[in-house]
Amino acid sequence: MSEPILVAQDLKKSFGDLEAVKGISLQIARGEVFGLLGPNGAGKTTTISMLTGLLEPTGGQITVDGLELESHTNEVKAKMGLVPQELALYLTLSARQNLMFFGRIYGLKGKELRQRVDEVLEMIGLSERANDPVKEYSGGMKRRVNIGAGLLHKPEVLFLDEPTVGVDPQSRNAIFESVEALNRAGMSVIYTTHYMEEAQRLCHRVAIVDEGTLIALDTPTALIRSLGGGVVIIGIAEGAPEELTDRIAQVPAVRSAIRSDGELKIETQRLQEGLMGALDITNQLDVRITSLEILEPNLESVFLNLTGKKLRQ
Amino acid sequence: MNALSVAFKDILILLRDRGQIIMLFLVPMIFILAFSAAFSLGEEMEEQVIVVPVVNLDPGGEMSTLLLENLNRDRGIQTEDYGQAEAEAALNDQTASMLIIIPANFTADVKAGSQTELRLMYGPEASDSEVEAVRLVVEGVAADLSLETQLVEGLSRMGAMMSDAPPEVQVFTAERIRIQAEGQFERGKTAPLVSLTSKWPDQITQGRADFSASSLSVAGFAVMFAFLAAQITASSIFDEKKEGTFRRLLAAPLGKPQLLIGKMLPNFVIAIMQMVILVAASILLLPLMGQEAPSLGNSPLGLVLVTILVALCSTSLGILLAAIARTESQVGGMSTLFLWVAGLVGGAFIPAFVLGDFLNTIGKVVPHYWAIQAYTDLMVRGQGVADILPELGILAGFAAVFFVIGLLRFRFD
Repeated sequence: MSEPILVAQDLKKSFGDLEAVKGISLQIARGEVFGLLGPNGAGKTTTISMLTGLLEPTGGQITVDGLELESHTNEVKAKMGLVPQELALYLTLSARQNLMFFGRIYGLKGKELRQRVDEVLEMIGLSERANDPVKEYSGGMKRRVNIGAGLLHKPEVLFLDEPTVGVDPQSRNAIFESVEALNRAGMSVIYTTHYMEEAQRLCHRVAIVDEGTLIALDTPTALIRSLGGGVVIIGIAEGAPEELTDRIAQVPAVRSAIRSDGELKIETQRLQEGLMGALDITNQLDVRITSLEILEPNLESVFLNLTGKKLRQ
Repeated sequence: MNALSVAFKDILILLRDRGQIIMLFLVPMIFILAFSAAFSLGEEMEEQVIVVPVVNLDPGGEMSTLLLENLNRDRGIQTEDYGQAEAEAALNDQTASMLIIIPANFTADVKAGSQTELRLMYGPEASDSEVEAVRLVVEGVAADLSLETQLVEGLSRMGAMMSDAPPEVQVFTAERIRIQAEGQFERGKTAPLVSLTSKWPDQITQGRADFSASSLSVAGFAVMFAFLAAQITASSIFDEKKEGTFRRLLAAPLGKPQLLIGKMLPNFVIAIMQMVILVAASILLLPLMGQEAPSLGNSPLGLVLVTILVALCSTSLGILLAAIARTESQVGGMSTLFLWVAGLVGGAFIPAFVLGDFLNTIGKVVPHYWAIQAYTDLMVRGQGVADILPELGILAGFAAVFFVIGLLRFRFD
């Protein structure tokens, strides 16, 4: 991994008795698109809020480009851009007025400001309608302005918080292309989402967060490979013999088998062979099957396998 | 610089909101025009003639005749002679609301320099305004009468003494006569021969003496609507939090103090613009409607200081509202309370001296009261900065308390 642009060590955040983030450590490389995945309430937004200086951590340390966030707050903030999940825009103002304002608060002025605003309008494809009030735009156009407002000052690290929520497929593709173009230009991107296909397409590495804890961190390919050929979850009726788990674990295409709470979770090397072997053994032992779930190898399955929960819960 | 950018953006957003512009500038102007017209109508109605029964127990007396002549001389009062029994019956059966009784030895007592007493009686149905009007007129006429009598008496005595003495020993020179006349005049002012027994609360007489419909309306409504800007500030902060722009601003290299100053500046500027525009428009429009233009008094510095402190109070209140309200509807509710209820008890609609003791006392807990008092002292009574220092201090105190509590309770997340 190249030199990190952002390092977070043992980040913690509590709200009263609630521990929202329980010690997360991350390193984001320069030029990397880093995915932060997790279901609603997992602690993603709290983590992003701490990384962008919006929330003070209860514990831990954040450095960006070698500067500590706590002691160099404004310098660090100037290196980062945030595109919030909400359409954080002034709807009665035009796209140009919004961009001029956000450019000014990042210290741009005069000719440089006007030039950057024109460039960003061009990049988001809204030069023609730059002077119309944002409230008259379609949802996708508003999303594009929302992203543009985070790019004016050419940040070194761009935080995109669920940028495709409520966006039509065409605008979603446009957003993906923008992220890829920004990344090609050298920008590091931290991308939070609960859409696995987005993470698989865009992210070089992915961190999976659940209940305030980092439960996996790797490339999407490595995470998917960790599932092997796939996972089979078999619901079994009460009274199944104890030997069931051991016999299934001995099937050649099965990597492991774990029994808990009326369920048997079988990780396979080769899905079809493993599934057939497991079903043969349940028949031989006369075990009644109450449910059967097959997890194809993808990030969604990785998450389900790790947490027992679906990402969109 | 960043604070100015935030302020500029907020003003730009406000200028695009026609509803807010109308509420800030047009609505208070309509209130000023309407209330000035209403108060002026009240003044005209007070000029109607009031018929007052008089029981003259000194009939044909020189001084009682003079008193009645003066009372009937274009002062809005017309006296009618009644017998004592007839007058008291009229008062009891409510065909008369008040009566004046001139005592039996009125002429003799006044001439002798002895104290005497006129009695003003009124029945349960007497309207406060009529009783007060009659009381003021009778008191004025009685004071003139006693002063005139004392002066004439004093000078007559000196004249008699001079005429008896030979020219070479005359001691009452022109200079001595002038000194004597001045002495008599002062005595007449401090110890009038004729006194009235009825008395009205001081605040009424003070208010009546200082009443100016247009100036009071301009001061009242300009102050009241200056606090509307506080609601706009609080709502703007709530909107920014709801829309997510506040979060975006906090992620920028913009300190929290700069952000707060940026949110407060438009409120301050708007409150000052409101005052300037409302006063200027009133000076232009009220005369066109046949009404008196508001006076600006004699102390421009005083007006500037009060206006700045009102704007600061409104601005600090905006931060306080944003800090303590938990929902948008709470902002609306609390702002309405502060705009209309505090405006009412503070004397924005009706001058404080007319509100009565209870509301007048309650009014003192809101900044509106002190701001309106300060403007009234400057614009109506022609006072200067030194005279309104207590009001300025209290307004500064309100601004400081609002700001400190607001800042301590403000949540940036």
